[in-house]
Amino acid sequence: MTPLMSLRDLRVEFDTRHGRVTALSSISLDVRPGETLGIVGESGCGKSITALAMMGLVPNPPGHVTDGRIEFNGEDITNAPAKRLRQLRGGDIAMIFQEPMTSLNPVFTVGDQIAESILLHQNISRANAEMQVVELLDTVGIPEPEARSKSYPHQLSGGMRQRVMIAMAISCRPKLLIADEPTTALDVTVQAQIFDLMRDIQAKFGVAIVLITHDMGAIAEMTDRVAVMYAGRIIEQGDSDKILDNPLHPYTRGLIGCIPVLGREAASTDRLPPLAEIPGVVPPLHLLGEGCAFAERCALADATCRSMRPPLEDKKGHPVACHHPGEVLAPGAEVSV
Amino acid sequence: MSQTSTATSQPALEAISPMREAWSQFLRNRPAVFGLILLTVIVAFVLYGRYIFDGDPYRIVWGPLTAPGAREGIYLGTDFLGRDILTNLLKGGAPTMAVGVSAALLTVVIGIAVGATAGYFGGWMDDLLMRLTEFFQVLPALLFAMVLVTLFSPSLFTISFAIGIVSWPPTARLTRAEFLRIRELEYVTAARSIGAGNGRIIWRVILPNALPPLIVSATLTIGVAILFEAGLSFLGLGDPNSISWGLMIGQNRNFLLEAWWPVAIPGIAIFLTVFAVSLVGDGLNDAFNPKLRSR
Repeated sequence: MTPLMSLRDLRVEFDTRHGRVTALSSISLDVRPGETLGIVGESGCGKSITALAMMGLVPNPPGHVTDGRIEFNGEDITNAPAKRLRQLRGGDIAMIFQEPMTSLNPVFTVGDQIAESILLHQNISRANAEMQVVELLDTVGIPEPEARSKSYPHQLSGGMRQRVMIAMAISCRPKLLIADEPTTALDVTVQAQIFDLMRDIQAKFGVAIVLITHDMGAIAEMTDRVAVMYAGRIIEQGDSDKILDNPLHPYTRGLIGCIPVLGREAASTDRLPPLAEIPGVVPPLHLLGEGCAFAERCALADATCRSMRPPLEDKKGHPVACHHPGEVLAPGAEVSV
Repeated sequence: MSQTSTATSQPALEAISPMREAWSQFLRNRPAVFGLILLTVIVAFVLYGRYIFDGDPYRIVWGPLTAPGAREGIYLGTDFLGRDILTNLLKGGAPTMAVGVSAALLTVVIGIAVGATAGYFGGWMDDLLMRLTEFFQVLPALLFAMVLVTLFSPSLFTISFAIGIVSWPPTARLTRAEFLRIRELEYVTAARSIGAGNGRIIWRVILPNALPPLIVSATLTIGVAILFEAGLSFLGLGDPNSISWGLMIGQNRNFLLEAWWPVAIPGIAIFLTVFAVSLVGDGLNDAFNPKLRSR
């Protein structure tokens, strides 16, 4: 099956005060029709830039796609003309954002904004579009959709606004929905509702979802496959259940150790302390050296790690970029020191 | 319809647009409402006053420099030629305000065009347009306007044009600053993600959100433009063919030591108008600025 969205050796660079830094390098990803792919990592690891790159929205300036290819449905859209990209955005590829508080235009009613996205892609009358708006608001579970469509964003709660964003995103039946931390700004009960809604939408319309998150819990709950990113590279990739069961990269294990899960099985907890922390922070992109970007924070790091960057290759079942995949420290030593 | 749990229902609110909210905020501001009433009264006088105080403003009604009230029927006295000041005041109001409004309009049009282009596209376009703006900004405004007016022979049109040309830089800088701020906001990226192009993003997404400070600045520019016109007329660069308050001051200034009223009365009219416009402008500023709102 041809992948719906595929990134091949994508490299994105940004012009900054420190000169040109590489925000993404050698990113290769496939999204298959109808599946959910998770992209997980800390702030600043390149998740959001990856999402924007899929839509041809890398901010330029200062960003540049300097190498690699972006393909949608087999079509190379890396250097597609602006007009073609505008057709795809909102038409075949849609996106929802992290902050429902700020991702809606405050001066227009939500109905107007959804209608606008419909009218941009479909040649129908305004009245017709408004009818579709009410249907969409109903589909995403907004009560009294007709009255709500005349509300301004500030009159709605965060969860409602995120539903409105989802309604806008699915207004033209996209094949791919990119969700950039869709629940980070919402409280947990609303989070669960939004995930439920996304699953419903996927079942109903067969849309593929790219879920960008820093929350391994969301990965476990939502995704079929996952790519773990660190400092602009994919460091581990594979089926979500395999990676959750058997994380090979110490960073991935650190992320899993960070989730406070009630009643987690003992088998996975004896490997790490109950609530692990990953010491240190993501290194600034302009200070990345020759070695593994995670070496500074890794308890397993040795001289090789500091001098040679591990390639992403199949080891012990799935692709991982680590010189010591799956190795565990001797009992007594802990990852988080 | 949806199988998901429904979002918690909110009390049904009436849809209040940000503009309507600002308006109700404005109405709670006493000085601003006072300014608006004052402005309405002045405009009403200028537009309809001639139905009460009829007369040809050019006609000589009595001896020159008759004091106000010195003779029945000449309420505000006469000027240096013996023309009735009240009828002149009513006749001169409309051109004064027309110059103010059209100069402010031109300021806003140029300012938004330059500022939006510079702020939205950035890069070399921004550099180029901002250097141009600075070039206009460092020229002494009144002198530059005088040069322009003398260059094209004074008329209401050229005066408005000259005032507009010298006044747009602050509006352009304000627009640019707003665009720089708003273009980074998430709803602009969201608009791009639904396939909106540059034109749509500039006009439909960023500009409506940048409008409040621009409305305030445009309102205040009207007052500045009226003063500007008075200044030009005072210096003898007004449109000699149409009476304006500035022209009245300019023509009578040589007789100031003998008679204060031909200068002071149009001066007070200008003062009241600019005062009213400023009150309205400040009121709009407060109404649009959520940080100043008292809830």
